[in-house]
Amino acid sequence: MKSSFQQRSPPQPQDDSETDEECITERTHYPAFMIPDLFTQLPLVRDALVTSTSQTQDETVDTCLPYLAGEDELFMYNLHGVPNLDRERHIKFLHSSLGRLPGRFLAADASRPWFLYWALSALAIMGEDVSSYREALVDTARGMQNETGGFGGGGKQTSHIATTYAIVLALALVGGEDAFEVIDRKSLWSWLCELKQPDGGFQVFLGGEEDIRGAYCTAVIIRLLNLPLDLTPTSPAWTSDGTVDLFSGVGDYVRRCQTFEGGISGQPNAEAHGAYAFCALGALALLGDPRRTIPRYLDVPRLISWLSSRQYAPEAGFSGRTNKLVDGCYSHWVGGCFPLIEACLSSPGAPDQAAGHPANAVRLPPVPESLFSREGLIRYILCCCQDQSKRGGLRDKPGKMSDAYHSCYVLSGLSSAQHQWQLAPSGTEDDSTAATVDLVWTVLPYLDDVQVFDQKNLVRPIHPVYAIPLHSQQAIRSYFLAKEGF
Amino acid sequence: MPPKSKAAPKPKGTEPSKQPTPTPSPASNTTAVPATIAARSQFRYDDSRPHDAARLKIGLAGLPRDEQAAWISARFARTPAARTRLPPKAQRELWRQVNEASFPVRALRGSKHSWGRDRNESEVSGYSAERFDEREGRRAQLTCLEVASRGFRERREREGKGVRDIVTGDKIVVTEAEVEAERIRRGEMAALRSELYGTVQGSFALDPEWDDIVPIPQGEPEAALAAIAYPADYDEAISYLRAVMLKKEYSQRCLRLTETIIEMNPAHYTVWLYRASNVFALKLPITDEMEWLNKVALVNLKNYQIWHHRHLLVDNLYPTLAGNPDELARFATTERKFLTQILVQDTKNYHVWSYRSYLVGKLGVWGSPEELKSIEDLIDDDVRNNSAWSHRFFLVFSDPAHTTPGLAATEPDPAAPQDITDREVEYAKEKINLAPQNQSPWNYLKGVLVKGSQKLSSVEDFASGFVKGLGNKDGSEAVQSTHALDLLAEIYAEKREKEKADLCLRRLGEKWDRIRIGYWEWRRKCLEEA
Ligand SMILES: [Zn+2]
Repeated sequence: MKSSFQQRSPPQPQDDSETDEECITERTHYPAFMIPDLFTQLPLVRDALVTSTSQTQDETVDTCLPYLAGEDELFMYNLHGVPNLDRERHIKFLHSSLGRLPGRFLAADASRPWFLYWALSALAIMGEDVSSYREALVDTARGMQNETGGFGGGGKQTSHIATTYAIVLALALVGGEDAFEVIDRKSLWSWLCELKQPDGGFQVFLGGEEDIRGAYCTAVIIRLLNLPLDLTPTSPAWTSDGTVDLFSGVGDYVRRCQTFEGGISGQPNAEAHGAYAFCALGALALLGDPRRTIPRYLDVPRLISWLSSRQYAPEAGFSGRTNKLVDGCYSHWVGGCFPLIEACLSSPGAPDQAAGHPANAVRLPPVPESLFSREGLIRYILCCCQDQSKRGGLRDKPGKMSDAYHSCYVLSGLSSAQHQWQLAPSGTEDDSTAATVDLVWTVLPYLDDVQVFDQKNLVRPIHPVYAIPLHSQQAIRSYFLAKEGF
Repeated sequence: MPPKSKAAPKPKGTEPSKQPTPTPSPASNTTAVPATIAARSQFRYDDSRPHDAARLKIGLAGLPRDEQAAWISARFARTPAARTRLPPKAQRELWRQVNEASFPVRALRGSKHSWGRDRNESEVSGYSAERFDEREGRRAQLTCLEVASRGFRERREREGKGVRDIVTGDKIVVTEAEVEAERIRRGEMAALRSELYGTVQGSFALDPEWDDIVPIPQGEPEAALAAIAYPADYDEAISYLRAVMLKKEYSQRCLRLTETIIEMNPAHYTVWLYRASNVFALKLPITDEMEWLNKVALVNLKNYQIWHHRHLLVDNLYPTLAGNPDELARFATTERKFLTQILVQDTKNYHVWSYRSYLVGKLGVWGSPEELKSIEDLIDDDVRNNSAWSHRFFLVFSDPAHTTPGLAATEPDPAAPQDITDREVEYAKEKINLAPQNQSPWNYLKGVLVKGSQKLSSVEDFASGFVKGLGNKDGSEAVQSTHALDLLAEIYAEKREKEKADLCLRRLGEKWDRIRIGYWEWRRKCLEEA
């Protein structure tokens, strides 16, 4: 026990005798960036015991530090030691990822709708007009739709809830009646009924696994397309008394996925994982007013504690699980939880928190500034997640290849860090009415004491629940709200 | 505009200089050996048209008189339409000259023949005569095989229709030997096609076993977004998959087809689902399938579908185990062994751990000492393995033997036995001592205390051991674990010692865990509310 008590003193200046000369001359050229030492030094408290987890963690910090300290040669830094968002390169990268993909992308053959969503979403967040893809997307999506409802990962593949979600979001992003009308809502609705399970959750495809992605993706689809909640008699969850609908038991299912750590697992009894935290909060927020539904089903203080623990220094980005490494995509999966939670805690006129989880008995106060370090996340994204070679695109961390998936979620995370959302007061008690579903969300750029990024690096806000731009979400939902029948 | 005198059509790729000079004497044929078959053709062409090449080059008037006459005679001789317009006398004179000069009466027509290209995209016209003959030999060989192969297909078709042999009157039956011979034949045909034309044929098209299936191609629109350029073998296999799935065929060959596709793309969930349907429809031994799956899992550690497939297999197998505790225990042991093997390579693999918790629940082995021991081994290897800690919590606190159903993981459970809670608290403390800044056992500790309805303050002394002189401004403040400080803040809040709690949170934000200052500030606000 005594041996492990090792408090680390702040790092000493470089011992020149051990540095080669080339390195010294280079170092003297660095301008004095305004970078808090939080992002350039190892954490104050570290353990001596070495295990494989601590080794990979140390390696990751070593990899990230030069990027965070303004020492990467490919970058042009501002006074805060933060480079610009290289829009031009990323946009080019994303356009090309929508083109024909070489054979080495074979593993993506069952998840092409994801590629469409990731690329279109990333482009939209950077302010690109993606409506020019409408026609091609309409053709592509048609080929992936099954007569029995839903979309598969490609032509003539089994319908999957995740690929259906991705297609619906992609269609929402390109917008327009032609795109919306691709979706056969009636067969989609009856297919969703088949996926609904008696325990409240959803299978991800017929005969497939049941997990929390199923709940979130279904809720998004139902709300965006304004599908009825009634169950068909062939649904495994159908009861003769008619009390069960598509949303019944979803809250309880989500509740069973919260773990002792406070985070959310993919299925009950597994480990808390960042991606599922976003799905859980999103699903609850779509059941009704999140200011009521979230505390009803989740231990909020423990959840916030777990979410906050995902941000490490000096890397400053988020990890997906306890003792796992920082990764750019959790900028969205974890970082994207905060706008929603902060809005729930801080929006004026929040309804009384109904009796829910006992841990929420104490009134939870509004957030003084922000629950996470927005500056930290922005630094990690702009310094570590940009591929600054000719390739462009965004990535997990330095040393990893950029891809469409990380481009989408890193940029979503950047958007979350740059904006602050508020919810208008809602009076109604009934969660399922349209009034609670169509809560009025407003957004403003987040104003920090010191803004470390240049104004031109501000990206578009994305909806804290649907993860697409607000106007895209509103356009598709109001289109289907106005439509009678299927 | 009058056309300029054009050279006779020459096959591409022949150098004019290499053209053998046409000689009026057929005897010289044997002396000049053309280098290529194109040149040979040209030679034969020119040879059948005396003086024509020279005429084209320099014009009729440029030829010596006798050659002029010979050319004209030859021309008339082989152009009946022109010849019959001559007066009879002139015709007779013509034939006399032709006979004397022994002209070839038939001229070869202009050679517009395309010889095609070989597998290397080279013009076959550039082949030597010898090489060309060899190629022609192979082409003939291929044709023979094709004829035989067509015969095989016809026999099969007749077999399918129940046609009887005309001679014997017996129903036509295609024997295994015939099928095998056809398989070999198609292999030879494919080899020849590849050698001659460079075309590659898919293995399914070559296999007589698949003759009855008409593959369904992908058929995507040209402008489809993010379309993948399929490798040829994948493209073919997937087209056969679509066809057999459409007719809902469940068979051994389909099982093999799924294996082929899974090898190429294990992320293809549709093929996994279809494989499971085949296994169940054919009532194949689940253990065989599990064994096959083990091999696939070991080479595809990150794959997700494998674990759902395994889940389906266990669901299917379980009823046969349920009544037999020995069988069940044996199965649990083999699975544990395999999972240990996998987790050695990827200790935090989410899908493997999710499957493991499912398995424990399905087989009801929460209380298994081996399972707990196996988890302890992993924690001993790496005390920071949070997946192992999570699984331990599940093992201990989800055991239906002492769990109140329907409670959330973060809720106290009155059914949690005191001795188990105590044991787990001690376990967590022991591991915290190894590396106090490791968050996993701290989260575990708090989880256990809450679940076991223990006061957090029961570990106040323990947590305080990692914090010295908090708030001291003389430099004596020392924090060995920010998680201890976090827990102390909760302990003080629980004891209504708000100021002490606030100090912990303030110091976390100011110094010891600055990246989370926003969160620590919010926690201070929470103290005010309480
Ligand atoms: Zn990632």
